[in-house]
Amino acid sequence: MSLIEFRGVTFVHQNGVKALDDVSLSARAAAITAVLGANGAGKTTLLRAVSGMIRPRRGRIVLGGADLAGRNPEQMVRAGIAHVPEGQGVIAELTVEENLRVGMMSWRGATRRPAARAGHAGAANSRAERTAALDEAYERFKPLADRRRKLAATLSGGERQMLVIARALLARPRVLLLDEPSLGLAPRIMAQVMDLVVQLSRENGLTIVLVEQNARAALAIADHGVVLNLGRVVASADARTLAADVALRHHYLGF
Amino acid sequence: MVEFLQFTLSGIVFGMIYAAVALSLVLIWRGTRLLNYAQGGMAMFTTYVAIEVIYRTGSYWAGFVVALAAGIVLGAAFQVTVIRPTMNKPPLNGVIVTIGLLTLLEGLAGIFFGGQYRSFPAAFSVTGLKIGTTPLGVSRFDVFTAAAVLATTLVLAAAFKYTTAGLRMRAAAFNATIARLSGIRVARVLTVGWALAGLIGALAGVLVSPSTFLYPNSMDTIFVFGFTAAVIGGLDSPVGAVVGGLLLGIALSYVGGYLGSDLTAVVALGVLVVVLMIRPGGLFSAARVRRV
Repeated sequence: MSLIEFRGVTFVHQNGVKALDDVSLSARAAAITAVLGANGAGKTTLLRAVSGMIRPRRGRIVLGGADLAGRNPEQMVRAGIAHVPEGQGVIAELTVEENLRVGMMSWRGATRRPAARAGHAGAANSRAERTAALDEAYERFKPLADRRRKLAATLSGGERQMLVIARALLARPRVLLLDEPSLGLAPRIMAQVMDLVVQLSRENGLTIVLVEQNARAALAIADHGVVLNLGRVVASADARTLAADVALRHHYLGF
Repeated sequence: MVEFLQFTLSGIVFGMIYAAVALSLVLIWRGTRLLNYAQGGMAMFTTYVAIEVIYRTGSYWAGFVVALAAGIVLGAAFQVTVIRPTMNKPPLNGVIVTIGLLTLLEGLAGIFFGGQYRSFPAAFSVTGLKIGTTPLGVSRFDVFTAAAVLATTLVLAAAFKYTTAGLRMRAAAFNATIARLSGIRVARVLTVGWALAGLIGALAGVLVSPSTFLYPNSMDTIFVFGFTAAVIGGLDSPVGAVVGGLLLGIALSYVGGYLGSDLTAVVALGVLVVVLMIRPGGLFSAARVRRV
């Protein structure tokens, strides 16, 4: 069953470049969909369209049957979409723990002080619940627990990637959009990140849309692959089928 | 020696006022990278509101509270109505709008309240305090001024550091994209930032006006000194704003006391130039964070 669907989505940048050109695709629930292609193929734009950072000129984006047109990022995260953007995902000036707390800002009642709500029957998201969620994150990402009071600026590349994924998970999303999570990481760390992505999909049932330059690594873990070129879908198939297509690999994926 | 002590203490008092103006500028700059040229004008206007309330009710404190409330309303209203449409536009648009607001406020003040100099009452005695027979150069009201700004600053700092609302504001200021993707309504947070800036500016207005008189341009000089203080501290840093304000206040007090008050503006400019030459980001600019 597909959770996210693009139906004829077109987006044109202010400078006239067509970043997405009549894109139709779907991402299956609880599966990993890899979005591949060269620089400028429209991969990042595609994710930005899902999380509401940009508005397509034409076409529809549907999440679980609901049209997402016109929603802004603040609403999209509440609808269950967590977007981990490329590169600057860590708020370097905040501590590790503060970064994680930012991840819970979309929770119901996040605008009210937990103390004021404690004791009310059915009070959503009590302080205890937040603490539990933080503990859970530290349990899963142990290196972060040791550095919770440190500024995020002091983290290594791998720890930063860990932190942004942990923060995204704290929003309790249904869909996780990952933009180049392996960028700039050492091969061993990159493998760890990829393992984590698999785990999130298999064990937690998250729907993951993974944008990657490293097509080989992405196809190795993905269920489904979509190849973009100059804003158009040039291939969409089972990940294994794509990986086996030598001509396609040479032409668009560079391996 | 006594003279030195007097100059230092009165420098601290004026420094706290510059610090308040600087802080209000920093609050807006951090969130929007916009320098609010109307900050002084807003403070002038809310001080006129205070004086009207004081005349009508006979209560200083009623005027004081109304001025602060007016500052909050004015800040939020400007952000929502005229500043918000300039966001996502070239930075100069916002700057021009704030200069327009300054002109508007000074014009309106002239129309509503008249252009003449008006004296503004102080909450406490303005006669100098003494230890034994030694005059300290500061009054009870000066002590109140310094304490009020200090208390406001500390409360704000604690709120930023320890509350969820404070974390939301910091996250929005440091990285608006991540903040939005995390569900923080950044536009609303920026409105709160302007409201707080309006509050602190209004505080500076009522505190400084007993010693400057009140007229439509009365806050212009204070704004320039507050701006200088903010740049000295590094426009990004609230702590820097306060330290910059104090440093500037004390320095200008020595200059005014020992060399003559005609020189203060020149020296303020000199200090600004020197700081910008040695540490272009300001004294408290964080070391640039390398982003991967």
